[in-house]
Amino acid sequence: MDDRRVDTAQRPFSRLFPYEWRMMTPLLAVMVIILAYPIAYSAWLSFRNVDLTKPGRDAFVGFDQYVTVLKQPLYWTALTNTFIFVAVAVTLELVLGLALAVSLKKQKRFRNLTRAILLTPMFVTPIAVGLMFRFLLNNQLGLVPVILQKLGISIDFFSADLALLSLALIDVWQWTPFMMLMLLAGLENLPEEPHEAAHVDGANAWQTLIRVTVPMMKPIILVAVLIRALDALKVFEYVYAITRGGPGAATETLQFFIYKIGFGYYRLSEAAAVSWTVVILVMAVLVLSLWRTTRGRSA
Amino acid sequence: MKKSVFRMLALMLSAMLVLGACTRGGSDSGAGSGGDAGKTETVTLKVIMEEVPDTDIVLGMLHEFHQAHSGIRLDIEALPYDQMRDKIVASFLAPRATYDLIVVDNPWMYDFASAGYLEPLDDRIQQAGGAYHYEDFAKPLRDIAEVDGKVYAIPFYNYALGLIYRTDLFEEKGLQVPATLDELMEAARQLKSDNMAGIAMTPQRGYKVFEEWGNWLFAAGGAIQDEAGNVVLDSPQARDALAKYIQTYNESAPANSLNWAFDEALRATAGGQAAMMLSYNWMLPTLNNPDGPAGELAGKFGLAEVPGGKAVLGAWFWAIPANSNNKDAAWTFVHWLTSPEQDTKRVIAGGAPVRDSVMDDPQVHEQGFGQEYYATVKGILKDASPLGDGPGAEEMIQAVGLELSAAVSGQKSVDQAVADAAKQAGEIMSK
Amino acid sequence: MRAYRAKNKFWTWVRVAFLWAAVLAVLFPYTWVVLSSFKSPADLTNPTKLLFAPVLDNWARVFAGGIVNNFGLSLLVGLATVLITLLAGTPAAYAISHYAVGGRLARFGILLAELIPPSVLVLPLFLVSYYLKVNGMVIPVIVAHLTFVLPVVTWFLISFFDDIPRDLEQAALIDGCTRFQAFLKVVLPQVLPGLGAAAIFGFVLSWNDMFYALILGGETAKTLPVAIAGYNTFRGVQLGDMSVAILVSVLPTLLLSFFIQRRMIRGIGGGGVKG
Repeated sequence: MDDRRVDTAQRPFSRLFPYEWRMMTPLLAVMVIILAYPIAYSAWLSFRNVDLTKPGRDAFVGFDQYVTVLKQPLYWTALTNTFIFVAVAVTLELVLGLALAVSLKKQKRFRNLTRAILLTPMFVTPIAVGLMFRFLLNNQLGLVPVILQKLGISIDFFSADLALLSLALIDVWQWTPFMMLMLLAGLENLPEEPHEAAHVDGANAWQTLIRVTVPMMKPIILVAVLIRALDALKVFEYVYAITRGGPGAATETLQFFIYKIGFGYYRLSEAAAVSWTVVILVMAVLVLSLWRTTRGRSA
Repeated sequence: MKKSVFRMLALMLSAMLVLGACTRGGSDSGAGSGGDAGKTETVTLKVIMEEVPDTDIVLGMLHEFHQAHSGIRLDIEALPYDQMRDKIVASFLAPRATYDLIVVDNPWMYDFASAGYLEPLDDRIQQAGGAYHYEDFAKPLRDIAEVDGKVYAIPFYNYALGLIYRTDLFEEKGLQVPATLDELMEAARQLKSDNMAGIAMTPQRGYKVFEEWGNWLFAAGGAIQDEAGNVVLDSPQARDALAKYIQTYNESAPANSLNWAFDEALRATAGGQAAMMLSYNWMLPTLNNPDGPAGELAGKFGLAEVPGGKAVLGAWFWAIPANSNNKDAAWTFVHWLTSPEQDTKRVIAGGAPVRDSVMDDPQVHEQGFGQEYYATVKGILKDASPLGDGPGAEEMIQAVGLELSAAVSGQKSVDQAVADAAKQAGEIMSK
Repeated sequence: MRAYRAKNKFWTWVRVAFLWAAVLAVLFPYTWVVLSSFKSPADLTNPTKLLFAPVLDNWARVFAGGIVNNFGLSLLVGLATVLITLLAGTPAAYAISHYAVGGRLARFGILLAELIPPSVLVLPLFLVSYYLKVNGMVIPVIVAHLTFVLPVVTWFLISFFDDIPRDLEQAALIDGCTRFQAFLKVVLPQVLPGLGAAAIFGFVLSWNDMFYALILGGETAKTLPVAIAGYNTFRGVQLGDMSVAILVSVLPTLLLSFFIQRRMIRGIGGGGVKG
């Protein structure tokens, strides 16, 4: 294990700045330069009372902003909505992505074309996707309801009950390709032997999938889900383009909430406080759930 | 392997260099030139506006302005509403002036002015004298621009609401233009058929639903604020108006249209799928334009005041940021553009009027959209009232909009929604 | 045996049907977008109208408005972001993975920046760009993009490096290389496909951003998403123009992904993120 340190240097320079830290320098330099000030500023903001339309009132207020934020029912609604959105969207993306990956792996004809087509939704900027679906799902003017009506179905996509789900489905349309990509890659690099062994043992396709394939893909599933979930937490454009948080507060998400407070009501400190509560919460969840499974100092 | 890495990197770098050279990547962004407006060197004004028909008209008039004032150039950024506001908010934080001239929406007026971001214009207006005729601007507009006794902005164009309806369908069914809420509801009911909605509504949470419902509230005899500015939203009239609004939504509006905003309502009406809509008064010329969105239906639309005669008023104003370095030049432009002579031209070109004299001008009637249209607009503007006037107006509108949307979508009862809306509005505006 | 074959055929049909359904689900919105891009204002009023006389006005207008410029700027910002990200992130990911620099704190700390919402970070970035007199140019946009691309791509890369066995390096060291040489000649080639995947991932993140580009970029530094969002005007969403802009943003990337997807898939799998 300590072989890694085989060159732990004799010269004082290398002692002070070991090789590994020198490799870190570019990243640390860039991150400090671009992030140190903004992060510090936003933290500082959250302890003050900055309101652009009341410049005279700026002062240090300690945790007051946090208290104000936590007392707002809309904050909790936004939090709940966002977590529901993430849970629904990412789960669906995972299931569909897996199904697609498995299907694509076995596909023989038109491989590259299919894969290329299926990847494209990722490359459309989210606001365009939001506006696209706003009109596609529009009951009177959209193609989708027209087709559904021919089948006799009438769905109010943006009703109080369904709006959040509809937005999640839009997210699924856009981001399942990402999941599919990750999982397909994971699949293509799995060893054949366990699968052959399972087949010899008489397992059918489904059992092989569940008991052999998926467990072996756990690491990549974890990475994909984590990246996707962190991104989904920041859902904003779909809400902004279609529902503006409505009906009522049904699609009020955290990002939209923060944006409204900061840019709509000019209360920058409050917006910063909301942001930091989210950061703390999510970091806590991440750390608690992943601490054990992540590698630390010991290999 | 190393070679291919370097090759890839080299490719990327050269691609970036080529792109950087070809695309105009921000070479001259900066703020307006620091030059003294009095000298003969050219002053460039940085202006931000919203992307609306009136902006296009102003852009078309710049040529004339340059002939009159060759020392002033304008660099105009036209953006959609939210983006424009976001940039204005960011510019207030900037250490140097970002813009020399901005347009201000009426809910922002009080907050911006009282925070000191806008330059008071009283002296300049006085200096402009009788020829400028400041009192000619419709009174409700002048009231909005006046904060704590000082004038901070000049009206640019209005977006008061009116009832837009299909004249041919009304004739067919023998309907009169509705003068009360009940008549409106009845007309909508009668006009509803299998492939046409009686009225296209905009119940989207936030500004939209409040902007539309405000007219219903006024028609029912209710009010949002009293003379002193106190919120008086919680009233039997408000409950009545909301109940009727919801009823009409369920009976006569297009199905499943809870998140509809201006865009959807316009398309539905222009496409012949809705017979009426409460919308901005200047949509009428657009709808009646054969090259416009209505296509074959052009010419079949009419404009009337909203039932009850009191409409929700919205308007945009020109304002000069307090930290601008080119205030004189900016005022020169505003003065020129909003003077009776130029404003007439703007309105004839299709702009939404703000001056009484322009609306009465026979020349405008002839070259514009007809006497009836301008007479209706003048009537609308006479007693139109904004949704919120005072501190925190924007936030108040959003809060009420949320409650209204909850009621329309069935999540809250009418009584509960009105009570909550009033309570929150009161809290917000007294902060 | 026959039963097995029959079952096999069944599942094959299911698979094919499923893939077709997926392709249709992806292509369906695009079809509508393509149709809309050729419609006149009157036809656009009814988005479901399928038979109409196509016009090229929207295309002419959008291209005259400089959409190619916006495209180029988005490309520039994306490439710059990815380049800096890879240059800074790769050695760091290597250090965190192979030398456990910073321990678990580093692995989690990196994600911290990822979580702060753009609405909050944009204002200090805006102020700094003013003080440095680069406001309105592409530089602050690139910096802003780095704030969310750099952490997540670095984190992503760590798992690639995790899968390279230490023995490879050891062998190189024994052969007489310095550690850095070992890194360049032995370790890096192994993760190259992974770098490619990470690069594309980072590029997509930067390509899609609208918010930072809007606030930090001026009129002259308008990226594609800002241009597209610009069609959501007060007089209504300009569907025709916006459809053209969407197609401009999608078609090239469709071609690109056709050629890259093979590398990408090999990249993520080969050399990365196994058990």
